[in-house]
Amino acid sequence: MEENSADRNVEIWKIKKLIKSLELARGNGTSMISLIIPPKDQIARISKMLADEFGTASNIKSRVNRLSVLGAITSVQQRLKLYAKVPPNGLVIYCGTIVTEEGKEKKVNIDFEPFKPINTSLYLCDNKFHTEALTALLADDNKFGFIIMDGNGALFGTLQGNTREVLHKFTVELPKKHGRGGQSALRFARLRMEKRHNYVRKVAEVATQMFISNDKVTAAGLILAGSADFKTELSQSDMFDPRLQVKIIKMVDISYGGENGFNQAIELAAESLANVKFIQEKKLIGRYFDEISQDTGKYCFGVDDTLKALELGAVEILICWENLDIMRYMLKIPGTEATKVLHLTPEQQKDNTHFTDKESGTEMELIESQPLLEWLANNYKSFGATLEIITDKSQEGSQFVRGFGGIGGILRYKVDMQSLQGDGPLDDQVYDLDDY
Amino acid sequence: MENESLKLSGLNLNVNAPMFVPNINAAAFVPSFLRTEPTVCEAQTLNQKPTMDTTESSPTTDSPIPTSDASPNNPPVDSWEEEADKEHAEDLKVNKVLGHDINGDGGEGTVHDNDEEKDIEDPEGESDGDGAADVEAAPKIKKKVVKGPAESKSKKEHINVVFIGHVDAGKSTIGGQIMFLTGMVDKRTLEKYEKEAREKNRESWYLSWALDTNLEEREKGKTVEVGHASFETERKHFTILDAPGHKSFVPNMISGASQADLAVLVISARKGEFETGFEKGGQTREHAMLAKTAGVKHLVVLINKMDDPTVNWDEERYNECKEKLLPYLKKLGFNPQKDLTFMPCSGLTGAGLKEPVDPKACPWYSGQPFIPLLDDMPPLVRFVDRPFIMPIVDKYKDMGTVVLGKVEAGEAKKGQTLLVLPNKTPVVVDQLWSDEDEVTVVGPGENVKIKLKGVEEEDISSGFVLCDPNNSCKTGRIFDAQVVILEHKSIICAGYSAVCHIHTVAEEVSVKALICLVDKKTNEKSKIRPRFVKQDQIAIMRLEAAGVICMEPFKDFPQMGRFTLRDEGRTIAIGKVLKVIE
Repeated sequence: MEENSADRNVEIWKIKKLIKSLELARGNGTSMISLIIPPKDQIARISKMLADEFGTASNIKSRVNRLSVLGAITSVQQRLKLYAKVPPNGLVIYCGTIVTEEGKEKKVNIDFEPFKPINTSLYLCDNKFHTEALTALLADDNKFGFIIMDGNGALFGTLQGNTREVLHKFTVELPKKHGRGGQSALRFARLRMEKRHNYVRKVAEVATQMFISNDKVTAAGLILAGSADFKTELSQSDMFDPRLQVKIIKMVDISYGGENGFNQAIELAAESLANVKFIQEKKLIGRYFDEISQDTGKYCFGVDDTLKALELGAVEILICWENLDIMRYMLKIPGTEATKVLHLTPEQQKDNTHFTDKESGTEMELIESQPLLEWLANNYKSFGATLEIITDKSQEGSQFVRGFGGIGGILRYKVDMQSLQGDGPLDDQVYDLDDY
Repeated sequence: MENESLKLSGLNLNVNAPMFVPNINAAAFVPSFLRTEPTVCEAQTLNQKPTMDTTESSPTTDSPIPTSDASPNNPPVDSWEEEADKEHAEDLKVNKVLGHDINGDGGEGTVHDNDEEKDIEDPEGESDGDGAADVEAAPKIKKKVVKGPAESKSKKEHINVVFIGHVDAGKSTIGGQIMFLTGMVDKRTLEKYEKEAREKNRESWYLSWALDTNLEEREKGKTVEVGHASFETERKHFTILDAPGHKSFVPNMISGASQADLAVLVISARKGEFETGFEKGGQTREHAMLAKTAGVKHLVVLINKMDDPTVNWDEERYNECKEKLLPYLKKLGFNPQKDLTFMPCSGLTGAGLKEPVDPKACPWYSGQPFIPLLDDMPPLVRFVDRPFIMPIVDKYKDMGTVVLGKVEAGEAKKGQTLLVLPNKTPVVVDQLWSDEDEVTVVGPGENVKIKLKGVEEEDISSGFVLCDPNNSCKTGRIFDAQVVILEHKSIICAGYSAVCHIHTVAEEVSVKALICLVDKKTNEKSKIRPRFVKQDQIAIMRLEAAGVICMEPFKDFPQMGRFTLRDEGRTIAIGKVLKVIE
């Protein structure tokens, strides 16, 4: 089961990547076809619709446009022929001619079965691909709303799948107790109560704006967090929308407002949100950090170590950042049959010396280049590992990405790594130790 | 009709009267008073102190360790303690005992006081708007001692005392009791509180209501925000900062502790209460540690609630609490000989605070009671001749922008131009209060209110710093700091974020990069960059704050350069600023 969910995550990541590339694509005229067929639909019906569409499209006046639309429809039809019936999860086809960065035209033809049933029927001809349905598919159905409220301000956020989003935040200046004021002490107290009341009202109003659209609550559950009594005051206040009131699943005590409070609220509400991916991600990296802090040796990080460990078959869980920008190059050393594999960061890629053979000084022949993550996603199974793709949205994720380079793994057994100890010598130009 | 017109004309006359009594008059009086009457003031102030007479007679026989100076060269207990040493070296450079220096330019203060007296004597003065205000303030000022830099003897040393400890230990009650004992709250107010408290069946809370002024605080009996009050003894003027003990309000407590010179750790001796407070999650430990980090050098430990039936002034219980606390406090870097004082007391009855405990109840303790002990504390060193600097704790609007805070160094006079950082807004000092009393000059260590001209209340927020325009404080978002990780379950590496408390600011910071590890014993810096740091390690790291904050390297100005990192309601690490990058 666990295996499946990990696979599924990889699947999700692949679709995410695909969506990203599709969104960027732009074509000439309305020649880009997006076709989504829900499960249990009939291929024949779609074919007929396409044939009709073909007929309509042949009436397009502009010659260039007509040709490209007709071409696209034809290739969709060809694709459709490959399927005897609609797959159980439905079918998605994108087809069209896109203009690449260099201004060249490129034909794109993608068809795949989504990882879970897609309940949309869509046929659109536009100058771009329509991926909204796919994005919706990715989104976890459970969206949780957060209201973080303390004496300094309020923050409204959502947690959905592995994305944490801040919808809105504002600050307030509430008068503190001065313990002073002399004769106007009562006046101060009254002003203070009034300001606090207004603050609660404002939060309640913004909450309605944020979490209710079209008279429907957009969040599956609401979590109220705050440092003082504000959250209870809010939850009991009749200014707070009753539709939201019933959605409150938890109230947590936090010591700070703002982003930090948001993080803490997520942490504290973890039990109630156990099956949200964000929490799972936090737990996973938490486990990885535990291995490090206990110094068990059953961990690795960095591209070289991780790949070494992978080859040893020692990696149990491979953790990768979703936006890992390291490229994998497979190069052929000229004059020999030997190949060389390089993993380079974008900065290193600019440096040409990596691509020249040290001995002969000639440029090596590029056989293959692809993002490392893609390569891992395709090959992790052959190393007996599971792949977890994480974001840097959580505190742990951000540490993993920034402190450990965004790639690492939990090992099955202890492996002695040479470079585990440090990050190499200090860059003296950047940090001068004598300053301290 | 005639009558009316007469009245009207009378009125008119009255209306004219104020114009007739301009301030110029008062100003003209000033110099003469300054020359002639300082002695009068002195006499007054001395006379006005009947409440404190008892303190003189209180026995000073077996005082535990009252002679301890906060600034001796105590040997570092752990490596972190080096900070203390550095500080002292620093202190020596600027070492000047408060009194002398300020007396030098005390002229203006005297002017002011006498001015008010004059107003009262002069019946004409009252009809003037200004005069009336002064009259209002004057009796108050006369009652207390004006601690404007008036004359040599009444210029008392200013000390800020923060009350810390676990929730329900009795911090506010002790604060209230002290105010009552020193006559800062009158009997009638207290009786009113008592009656109100009884109506709520919370009779024992009435004392704390003197400091817990908010409705919510009184409802629940929990302090939320730091309460301010002041009282005076024979030789000193004290500002009480009553910190909240509840776990959720630790951030408030930190801003209170950052203003303190001296901390009073209140411990409940009641069975079970001491234990919960001292447990791992209890605030007794955390507060003591935070106070130490905030720069408090001397800690008085009050073992409270000794009158409780479960304790009943039991010496064994007292010693038990003491024994358990000592090792921990020692570990924090408090020197038990010099920096710590233990004493039993009862906040509710007031025993052991001003008067010594009744020997019948408690024959085993013969040390000084609390207030006389504070009075006998050796004077603190202040940064007198440094440029003015004051972190802003709070602000409000009251016919102008008023900011509150403790002056860390230097002095400010009425009419002086200052700079608000990090906004770099030039402002002019319009009015000054030291605690409740209006003054014309404030010096370091005083807890002050300053009315500013040239800035809107909205443009200031707590955590800003008011300082001298020629010697402004450093501001920045990125800084390098040495950090000791106290408690963190997993590891800390680049990308970690937490809330940083530095003087009165609480700002989110994230670790940009780890620079090197520092060996705990040898203080040597590692040559390689670490990937991560764990609990109990010391590291130098580069931190980036979410917004611009004011700070100074620790070695230049300890109070502006020490900070605490907190996350998820726990104190993760403490540190000091080494360098402000940008």
